[in-house]
Amino acid sequence: MKKFEHLNAKSFSEAGKAIRSYRNAKPSAGGTDLIGTLRAGILEKNPDAIINLKTIPDSAYIRDKGDAVAIGALTTLDDIDRSELIRKDAKAVGEAARSVASTLIRNAATIGGNICQGVRCWYYRYPDEIGGRLTCLRKGGDMCYAIQGRNQFHSACGGMKSGLHRCTAECPASTDISAYMQEIRNGNWDAAARIIMQANPIPSLTSRVCPHNCQKACNQNEYGESVSIHSVERALGDYIMKNSDRFYVAPEQETGKKVAIIGGGPSGLAAAFNLRKVGHSVTVYEKMPEAGGVLMYGIPEYRLPKHYVRSLVKAIEGMGVEFKLETEVGKDIELEAIKAENDALLLNTGAWKQPILGLEGEELTVFGLNFLVEVKAFMNRQIDKNVLVVGGGNVAMDVALTALRLGAHNVTLACLEQRHEMPAIPEEINRAEEEGLVMYNGWGLGKVVTDDSGKVIGLDSKRCTSVFDVKGRFNPVYDEEDRRFFPAESIILATGQKVDLDFLGDQFKDKIASARGLIEVDETKATREPGVYAGGDLASGPALAIEAVRDGVIAASSISRELGVKIERRHKGPRFFKPDIEEIENRFARTEEDTPVAERTLEREDTTTLSMVEAEKEARRCMSCGCYAVNASDLSPVLVALDAKIRTTDRMIEAETFFSELDASDVLKVGELVTEIYVPKMKDYRTGYMKLRWRETIDFAVTSLAYAIKEEDGVIKDARLVAGGVAPIPLRLYEVESFLDGKVMTHELAEEAAALAVATYGHPLKESGYKLQTMKSQLVKALAG
Amino acid sequence: MSRNLNLTINGKLYEFTVGSRLGQIPENETLVDTLRDRIGLTGTKRSCEQGACGCCTVIIDGKAVASCLTLTVECEGKIITTIEGLADPVTGKLDPIQEAFNKHNAFQCGFCTPGIIMSTKALLDANPNPTEEEIKEALSGNYCRCISHYQVLEAVKSIIG
Repeated sequence: MKKFEHLNAKSFSEAGKAIRSYRNAKPSAGGTDLIGTLRAGILEKNPDAIINLKTIPDSAYIRDKGDAVAIGALTTLDDIDRSELIRKDAKAVGEAARSVASTLIRNAATIGGNICQGVRCWYYRYPDEIGGRLTCLRKGGDMCYAIQGRNQFHSACGGMKSGLHRCTAECPASTDISAYMQEIRNGNWDAAARIIMQANPIPSLTSRVCPHNCQKACNQNEYGESVSIHSVERALGDYIMKNSDRFYVAPEQETGKKVAIIGGGPSGLAAAFNLRKVGHSVTVYEKMPEAGGVLMYGIPEYRLPKHYVRSLVKAIEGMGVEFKLETEVGKDIELEAIKAENDALLLNTGAWKQPILGLEGEELTVFGLNFLVEVKAFMNRQIDKNVLVVGGGNVAMDVALTALRLGAHNVTLACLEQRHEMPAIPEEINRAEEEGLVMYNGWGLGKVVTDDSGKVIGLDSKRCTSVFDVKGRFNPVYDEEDRRFFPAESIILATGQKVDLDFLGDQFKDKIASARGLIEVDETKATREPGVYAGGDLASGPALAIEAVRDGVIAASSISRELGVKIERRHKGPRFFKPDIEEIENRFARTEEDTPVAERTLEREDTTTLSMVEAEKEARRCMSCGCYAVNASDLSPVLVALDAKIRTTDRMIEAETFFSELDASDVLKVGELVTEIYVPKMKDYRTGYMKLRWRETIDFAVTSLAYAIKEEDGVIKDARLVAGGVAPIPLRLYEVESFLDGKVMTHELAEEAAALAVATYGHPLKESGYKLQTMKSQLVKALAG
Repeated sequence: MSRNLNLTINGKLYEFTVGSRLGQIPENETLVDTLRDRIGLTGTKRSCEQGACGCCTVIIDGKAVASCLTLTVECEGKIITTIEGLADPVTGKLDPIQEAFNKHNAFQCGFCTPGIIMSTKALLDANPNPTEEEIKEALSGNYCRCISHYQVLEAVKSIIG
């Protein structure tokens, strides 16, 4: 056991204060759970202090409060088991207490400790000393080992979210991926759409261009291919566009507030959607003939067909957003004028400027982004025979592929990064190579080499020995001696873009620019100028479209809050995760179909969207990572069934609320302690606790059932049924309760009710299906006797 | 100044202080370690260390508990009895429970026996005439791999009325 400090508390308030004064102090009641946990070293963060609550005077008692029984938090389970008062007025509590572990444990264990105990999953409890602890999701790790592991003692009614999922954490916009996956596999496309659009209002576009880092974080990678999240997102995005009238809806009420958005790129569109949705009047100023920014002008047609961008812009326009196209702020209209007319301003003009690298002969090269913007002009022109593209990102890949498809004789790419370090999407790199791109990794710019007439004949380059420093920052190191000559008649630089702040005017620029030449924003995307916000590349420097979307969503929330309207995230997804147990073991992803190399063109999208049926199938591969361990406390279902209340140092909490989260620490604040359990006597109710376990002692419940049933003349007036051992929390069987209401109890009715419970709540893992049978038997027995 | 820690074990007072210096009891020491490694009372066995097997059972303030799940620093002022405390300290005469276990051969390898006897002792002190069910329940936290349970039941029943 690692070292910790120890304090014998004299009161709950002293204990709470002490806990708050340490970084990671743990209260100890009976200690029967905590000490074992510490000895096995299963927790990554060892507590720095143990606060002993047993020394608190008057904290262990069982008292008659008239219509209820009050139990002090430090009362041992053995004392509860032996209490006459409990036997008479809170029988089920006594039955549950007596069912816990063994006499030895009950002599020390307390009711307060019992309801706050840790989870009993064998992966969670895997001891450090025998081969290293498993850092599962529940412990702040990445995955649940039980979903595809041994799970006969795990949930039979689905899992619950535990912290932020890896995929969600990896998504810059924090899209709740597992939530929309579950809706999709259940065929609830509208619900899925509403979930995704809270984080990302333009999934039809991002799904096509995003490097989908979420997939790198997908836990299916442990077993086989990751879930093809972007494919499902794309199918969902296309579904949303097909039904755009349902998802891009004009607000019912106008707020009368006006917001101007400078720049119609991804963050501008995301912000426009969110701001308009709640009723603000929104005007988007766009320099180009069409809105969409880099999505419209910087990404080739074969990767993102422009009609998708157009229909999205049209949908947002349909909500009442006004687009002022071919209106360049700073030239056609002054920023000050826009500012004067509006209540708030969002700047997101992107990063379109060519950076000056200081390369000898730089003026003889072509800027990658310009190449893409003007590709239509290039189309009609014979492109140079040997093209060299410099850069390792997506723009470089787009440029290389576009050059290839334009008919360049030979396209070579050189970049600083080694292949695994390249920021480009792996699929795009593969595609370019398939089409004949020759790639050289680890080469940096030397100088442009020309012949006597001044015509470009190639690039002199130097070996790049490392791109990032130990801290992972971009800091290339070169070997000046190791050189290579790349012959080429055309050199296209796709080595980055710069932000251009000139449109702001000198005075305003000084006010809001950062030292790095960007616009300085805080976490709400507010600039130093009141009422002016900024997002996308303009504030972050060149980044991903989805990062721009996130900025737009955040900026919209901040702006709207400032204008007095809160933008809420109301669509949370289902309470319980119900993965497809068969399909999560499918190791192969369904992805978009690729056009054969010979048939690829510049004008047609390379890939086709998954059908809805296929997308639903792929969504079934999502493991719904969460916690699938069951609540181990025998007291918990009983306290819910008896409508008990938990008194803490701060407040009274309904038992059902107390047990609504995976862990007591999710409900209680740091230093907030349970002081008393208040159990109504439930007069006129038949109450009890049933527990099935393998051995008669020590074992936790396989399944348990707490019930409180009120009957009058054989008619059920009220039934409160709570199942234990079948879900991550005690499961109140509401559906069954209302089914029974007002009916006459018979054996057949009990059978029907039990079948209904299984049909409504059951969703077993591979090995936990038998629990539904035992839950059923317990229900029949409890109801019909 | 270090915190004092006074333990009364088998009627004898042991005075310690809490801390990590030589001779002090660190905060993270469990009672089974203190008894065995510090005081030399090795009759209390260390086994599963999670309160499941009952080998480390001692009696604290009249209740049988698992000493492996008990922090020694939390035993200040408690009356602790171990298997060594059952026999008469003067004459060395065994406790009637121990005699009964001997008589009924209620053990084989004997490793779990001190724990079983301590649980029995706590039971009979509180309830001199338990039913068979009560005996079974009281001993339910004491495991025996040699299957001595039947002889244990006979031994315990032999001394109750």
